[in-house]
Amino acid sequence: MCWVCEKYGNGEKWYLNPENYARRLYKVRKEGREASGADADPQAAGMGAGVVAELVKARISGDLKWEEEIKRDALEHAYQTHFGQVVTLDEYLQILDIAYPLVKMTCGCRRVQRGMPDEENFTCMGIGPGMYKWERWPETYRGGVEFLTPEEAKQWAMMNHKEGRVQTVDVFGTPYIGGLCQCEYPGCVAVRNRLDYDFKFLLKGHTVAKVDREKCTGCKSCLGRCQFKSLNLEVYTNKAYVDMDQCFGCGLCITACPSGAIELLDRESLPGLAENW
Amino acid sequence: MIAQIKINFDLCKDPLLCRQCLSVCPSVVFVCGPTKIWKGRETDPQEYRIFGRYLDKCSGCGDCVKVCPTGAVDLGFLPKEQLAQRYQEERIAQLKERNS
Repeated sequence: MCWVCEKYGNGEKWYLNPENYARRLYKVRKEGREASGADADPQAAGMGAGVVAELVKARISGDLKWEEEIKRDALEHAYQTHFGQVVTLDEYLQILDIAYPLVKMTCGCRRVQRGMPDEENFTCMGIGPGMYKWERWPETYRGGVEFLTPEEAKQWAMMNHKEGRVQTVDVFGTPYIGGLCQCEYPGCVAVRNRLDYDFKFLLKGHTVAKVDREKCTGCKSCLGRCQFKSLNLEVYTNKAYVDMDQCFGCGLCITACPSGAIELLDRESLPGLAENW
Repeated sequence: MIAQIKINFDLCKDPLLCRQCLSVCPSVVFVCGPTKIWKGRETDPQEYRIFGRYLDKCSGCGDCVKVCPTGAVDLGFLPKEQLAQRYQEERIAQLKERNS
């Protein structure tokens, strides 16, 4: 279990704990930073725009201590307000049975990074009681929201997985989960910053992919599925290679494999990776 | 060398609807964000601004300059050592201020 589970899981994976999808519909004044994550513009909280500009400067300067300090301070804030974690399709579908209501909405990341027009960009899912008052943040929910039944949401989630998007849970005021994303590199700010700057705003999932080298036929069906630069073909042996250390456990490669040659292991069953979030 | 990207905001008037540079960039160096958040309505596309953010990822291919319909993108380069020194000085000043 990751540190979020230990704190908010109640013996379960934290994002399968229904408590983390519940929130009051009325406002309770709170002290400290958690309040800002809950009530300010949800996308602004923890998106870390200014942080990344600083991070790029620190990276260019070569000052590792500076870089570490920026990340530490930013993450201390983000872990109280807004961060994400990769989940498998299975877990995603379980969440759709727990959380309600469910809406489709635009992806802020792809708007920021590619300027994608809202009508082509309904790839995020807003969830929970916050969706009853989405109109409070018209800029975040550009183009409005589209309410879905759980069945429609599941079909849509499976379509997204099939098309090759990584699925994540997203916190808005820890531990309240207010969104589910369908992400990719480099369009997703969280995936991009995690891979390019090792900024742990996005946590790895509870699973890790492992290739069975006996079963792999070298058909290459899985290539192109990984959004985390963790999958390639070992040309000399003609087998798929998963960098397990770098794997986020999304499971996209597995559903593309026709030979059942990739399995998804519990991260905790692997002593070398159990603390690698 | 590290890219230095300047956008002339007098020429770049409609960034979110135009989005040519955002769309063409092979390294996703640009970001665009709203300069104003309104109560009760969406921010106008014209109130967005584009910045070169991931400057250390820029290859210098120049496609953004070519594709810009108003010539608003200025792409230059500085030696990495020179920039590194500038930022190290910024950092020293930052630490000094913090400890004073």
